[in-house]
Amino acid sequence: MFEPFSAPYMQSALLAGLLIAVPCGLLGVWVVMRGLAFFSHAVGVATFPGVVVGLAVPAIGPFAGSMAAAGAFGVAVSSVETDHRLHGGAVTGLVLATAMAVGAVLLTTVARVSTPVETVLFGSLLGISDADVARCAIVAVTALGALAVLWTRLEASTFDRAWAAPAGARASRTDGLLLILIGFTVVTALPAVGSLMVSGLLVIPAATARLLCERLATMSACAVTLCASEVVIGLAAARELDVAPGASIAALGGLGFALAAAAGAVRSGWVRRTVAT
Amino acid sequence: MASPSGSSGDPSPDQSEASPDPPEAALAVDRVSVAYGDRVALEEVSFQLKGGTFAGVLGPNGAGKTTLLRALLGTVPATGTIALRGRTAYVPQLTTVSESFPVDALGVVVMGRYPRLGWRRRPGPGDRRLAGELLDQVGLGDRARSPFGSLSGGQRQRVLVARALAQEGEVLLLDEPLTGIDAPSQATILRVIRAECAAGRTVVMTTHDLAQAARECDRLLLLNRTLIADGAAQEVLRAEVLGRAYEAEVLLLDGQAALIDEGAHHHPPAKPGGLR
Repeated sequence: MFEPFSAPYMQSALLAGLLIAVPCGLLGVWVVMRGLAFFSHAVGVATFPGVVVGLAVPAIGPFAGSMAAAGAFGVAVSSVETDHRLHGGAVTGLVLATAMAVGAVLLTTVARVSTPVETVLFGSLLGISDADVARCAIVAVTALGALAVLWTRLEASTFDRAWAAPAGARASRTDGLLLILIGFTVVTALPAVGSLMVSGLLVIPAATARLLCERLATMSACAVTLCASEVVIGLAAARELDVAPGASIAALGGLGFALAAAAGAVRSGWVRRTVAT
Repeated sequence: MASPSGSSGDPSPDQSEASPDPPEAALAVDRVSVAYGDRVALEEVSFQLKGGTFAGVLGPNGAGKTTLLRALLGTVPATGTIALRGRTAYVPQLTTVSESFPVDALGVVVMGRYPRLGWRRRPGPGDRRLAGELLDQVGLGDRARSPFGSLSGGQRQRVLVARALAQEGEVLLLDEPLTGIDAPSQATILRVIRAECAAGRTVVMTTHDLAQAARECDRLLLLNRTLIADGAAQEVLRAEVLGRAYEAEVLLLDGQAALIDEGAHHHPPAKPGGLR
């Protein structure tokens, strides 16, 4: 199709990116509507020490390392969160900062890692293996299946938990499954977009879609489309401009959001009013 | 009085005098207590309601009105026994609802079908048709495709009532459905409640508006942790009875009771001129 995607490594990156765009776009809708943006960003960052250990110890590998770190993050946040003196955001923030610090210490002291730190944090075009592509496909199928089953419960309990819980939505179990799905998706997206830039696929497209859509189904379709477009253009730009793909994807996402917000402001007459006064 | 036992097999001799004979009861509440940690929110509350009754639950802030509804719904751990005929349908306080969620009015009412569909089956054309009819009933047939967040407070509350009707429960529980909304919306919701009662369903509504409750409800339950009074308006809304529930908040003027304003987020509970 595109000239930038003629090289095999670019085709792997494109395939992995398009596959992961499906769960990122769909789950992103729930991340945005349930206020989980900080959580999902934190999961990504918290995988940093796991990736470092995984790279240093080939028997573990970065995927297993980041998976373990994401799991440890979930356990740490949910166990400290039961302390009613601390708000959830504070707990997430403290675990995130601790994880990042541990990763930095490990990287510079114990681990002899040849991979540059920017690759871990912002992703790489070169590192996408066939195993990564396969994992993206598995996560895409799993997320589609799980969301099809959970859809009504997610919808009702996100809109009105006080109604949905007594109506039988099994709200806590639904919450837990959603967080696990988000964790798997974040970890799987890491090789392409890096620890710091996961929100570029998980938060920004869904937030942009909310500005453009007033119904859940259209918002979900829009979020997946935006995600996939970010991947295609972002990967091509990463190659042409020689930047990390996580950065080019997230930058495109931010640009898209700004355009959507500006278009909305123009449509609602805000700009005209402000200019007139 | 704070008996920790919630034994259900022990028949209580002090049944409320207003109770009808038990087999007819659509809702029978027997010595129900709820505690949040150390704080007892409801203590030994017992009452029975016949099918077709419109009951108003009154009481000051923190009296346990919402807790009583939660106990009936089974979302708080309660001791004692609750016997309900059929399913419950529920209208929570409007403030619990997300304003930013991308859904239109019809979509909210269709959600009311999910429990009946077992949360697995997707709503079909029949469910959507029913939801449309229910929106017509609450006077919002022309707003079916409007985003929920674009509706006024009164319109939103009417949509939530329509969602509860879509649940097709035998017992309809409403938490402050009339608080802070416009008069036409209040009238519509009260008309819908009346129609539900006429169809034999039982309605329990919490409210702050004593005068409105006295006008509209068949039965009043006056709550302040315990059930202070239970009966028709003229029995319950007497100064000495209200004094026990509202304590210092009641002002006695010419033998009529008026309430001192209870909080910024509630509209004034009584019209000037007090109550009978």
